[in-house]
Amino acid sequence: MQSFIGGSIRLGQRQGFPRWNRAQFKSSAKAYLPSQSSSNAVQGTNNSIKSPNNHLLQFLGTTFVSQANGVCSVPVLSPLAAMMSSSSSIYMTTAAFPNMHSSEPFPDVPTRIKFKRLDKTAKHIMQIVDKEAVEEVKRQRDVPEIKPGYIVQLKVEVPENKRRLSTIKGIVIARRNAGLNTTFRIRRMVAGVGVESLFPLYSPNIKEIKVLDKKKVRRAKLYYLRNKMNALR
Amino acid sequence: MAASFASRCSRVGRSLMDGLRNNFPNLPSTSRETICGSFLYQQQRTFIQMRTVLKVVDNSGAKKVMCIQPLKGKKGARLGDTIIASVKEAMPNGKVKKGKVVYGVVVRAAMQRGRCDGSEVKFDDNAVVLVDKQGQPIGTRVFGPVPHELRQKKHVKILTLAEHIA
Repeated sequence: MQSFIGGSIRLGQRQGFPRWNRAQFKSSAKAYLPSQSSSNAVQGTNNSIKSPNNHLLQFLGTTFVSQANGVCSVPVLSPLAAMMSSSSSIYMTTAAFPNMHSSEPFPDVPTRIKFKRLDKTAKHIMQIVDKEAVEEVKRQRDVPEIKPGYIVQLKVEVPENKRRLSTIKGIVIARRNAGLNTTFRIRRMVAGVGVESLFPLYSPNIKEIKVLDKKKVRRAKLYYLRNKMNALR
Repeated sequence: MAASFASRCSRVGRSLMDGLRNNFPNLPSTSRETICGSFLYQQQRTFIQMRTVLKVVDNSGAKKVMCIQPLKGKKGARLGDTIIASVKEAMPNGKVKKGKVVYGVVVRAAMQRGRCDGSEVKFDDNAVVLVDKQGQPIGTRVFGPVPHELRQKKHVKILTLAEHIA
């Protein structure tokens, strides 16, 4: 907002020049009010200078009155500058509306509509959807709680054309919570070689989970076990 | 297992392993980039590429081979892929001798391989089974576990010889 204020100060300062490119305010173009002759600043040139100034103010969301004496644009700048300096209180109300704008409401700045951040809303919705999916799976199957340090026996159906149900027995070394995609890692010794497998907890391929033993561990990820020679389990 | 301990004990991360392994300047860093800033990060295991030494787990006579080319794969070979390797260490009387160039099928890889159901599997070492050009294993026995991925790659003979399918 600060950079915009600085820019608009510069723009305001350039109002003395006859050619002021009003195309810079794209959105204010639609809010551009034709200078109404009912203003007390009668003189044409000043009026044309003034109304972009008023856009400026509108665009910043003020209802600041430009004291429409048609003298010159410089005194109008000082209230503008004053407004800029008090950056916190951008929204200042004044006693009287400028009567040249009273006929039409400000189309692009109505009374300060707040709108929610859509990505936050989306995240919230995704969280709810995820929780619902987890509830759904939990209702169908009984999934015990698995924490690192548990010795666990799984019956997994492997999709690679295997007939049935390999049993996998090992120690849970890590668990990663991610809603429906909560995964856990099991480390086991198979025929003399250590094997680590990662499974999604709510996977339909896991037919049964049985907790055999709980070991006392003091951390959440037991990767140090990779360096330790585990007894055959 | 002891050799793999020494290589894995340092938690310094990939950079150490890369320096040891890959000496070819024209190969870009083929290891997967992670935010490997501090030494506390886990070691990120990557593909099997040129100059990777693998263990041989059949009874063809070789003990260790060094990969000289992964077939199929720009970055390297993974679990279940075939490689061309040179025998570095062999048993005195075996079917293959030291210095011979052979084909091999990777049966255990330290890099995790994802399965179609979302699970992943990773082994503690890199191991290979020597095959001939047609894909038939040279040896008659395979030691240690082999993964299910071989079935999909049509290495059924190795699967039947294996003592355990992980």
